[in-house]
Amino acid sequence: MRKQLPLLLTGIAALWFVLCKYIHVFNATGAMTTTDKWYNIVIATMTFIGVVNLTRIHTTHIQRRRSGYHNSIILLACLWGFLAMGLYYTNKHVNYRWVYDATVVPFEATMFSIIAFFIASAAYRAFRIRTLEAAALGIVAALVMLGNVPIGSVISGWFPEARSWLMNVPNGAGFRAIRIGINIGSFAAAMRIALGLERAHLGSGQ
Amino acid sequence: MALNLAADPTLGIFVAGTASQFFVMLLLCAFVYVMIMRTRAGMPVPPIRKIPGLEAVDEAIGRATEMGRPVLFSPGISGITQPATFAAWAFLGHVAKLCARYDTRLIHVDRDYLVHAICEELIRQAYLEAGRPDAFNSDDVRYLTGSQFGYAAGYLGIMQRERPAANIMVGYFFAESMLFAEGGANIGAIQIAGTTNTVQLPFFLAACDYTLLGEEIYAAGAYLSKEPNLIGTVVGQDWGRIATFLLMLVGCVLANVAAAQATWLKDLLLKK
Repeated sequence: MRKQLPLLLTGIAALWFVLCKYIHVFNATGAMTTTDKWYNIVIATMTFIGVVNLTRIHTTHIQRRRSGYHNSIILLACLWGFLAMGLYYTNKHVNYRWVYDATVVPFEATMFSIIAFFIASAAYRAFRIRTLEAAALGIVAALVMLGNVPIGSVISGWFPEARSWLMNVPNGAGFRAIRIGINIGSFAAAMRIALGLERAHLGSGQ
Repeated sequence: MALNLAADPTLGIFVAGTASQFFVMLLLCAFVYVMIMRTRAGMPVPPIRKIPGLEAVDEAIGRATEMGRPVLFSPGISGITQPATFAAWAFLGHVAKLCARYDTRLIHVDRDYLVHAICEELIRQAYLEAGRPDAFNSDDVRYLTGSQFGYAAGYLGIMQRERPAANIMVGYFFAESMLFAEGGANIGAIQIAGTTNTVQLPFFLAACDYTLLGEEIYAAGAYLSKEPNLIGTVVGQDWGRIATFLLMLVGCVLANVAAAQATWLKDLLLKK
């Protein structure tokens, strides 16, 4: 029963969504929008449970003085402090926004900017010409880079044209082929889940 | 719920503009159904081709076992509604079972709290099925944060501190893919990655030892479990791909013929 009930519910939900998406009678009643609202309610409930669970776990960490328990103190202070601020000021208030903009935004921007250095080191390894494929990759990469920077068009007007052709024709064709495969694969995966053939998410042996 | 009768239904049944989609879906369903029936009846079905990224899972976990270092797993940063997350779960179940069997530590890191709850249960169940429930450590199944780059920073930190011998990333990834893959390469971990986000695939290809391209991650559950029903769906999906290719070919021919006819008609009209 522990596995049959979720499988049954999944199958019914899948059939319901197909009917709402394609069959006019179901679609015209706005049943899809109503179902989306149910989903949002479930997510909101789960968020509340998550906050309670997080508090419980980290309170236990602090009480038992587990290693790194000071991190739990910081986490709980941030979690409940920010929630209290939001309730007191509301989420439009300048003080509330400032805390977010002065902490989370710069942290995220810092991590994002690091990607440039990681790309450089990965490109260095990928472009080392050891095989025929690596040579082709290196040449194409050089052409695309020259086509993207102003100096490329100063050297020759051919570089931007070559770059456009490489990106739109061979690269575009390859990506589209992969995307078609992904969409068909997604469909087959959805069908496996709807029919209860794929049960990995239920934690069962396959 | 009030009826919205603004658009006339196609064929009196379907939502306007969706009839063709519905019939394509039925066709794909038919392919998958036929293949499932064939495998259930014990009839021969075409084999699935060898996928190096999936074959390498045993090698990666074996290497981690020999080195006495952990395996690090990320199911990507998408939520519970993404098919790629379901594919990651099929992968994770297999990895967790192997780790339990070889007594290798598995560190799993999540970004979505709903995904985290399922992953924890899934890993616990895998350890139970492998006969090693005592080896399961809930502290190694970690939820970091909902923030994309906060998750990336945490993941990189775990990599540096725990020094995993194998880094497995399967699911839907965004900009953090490069950080994870390059971070793993820097610590010398064997890396297996797979995503359905085509924009991030080149990063994985450049920095990882094995990369599963797009739909290959959906085949993981069938490929690793060797379950006939699941293999049937993968073969049916391949038939769908062949049918799509043929439709595209017919579409190209018809479009060109139509264009050529239009020119011919245009010339004829202009000549008077």
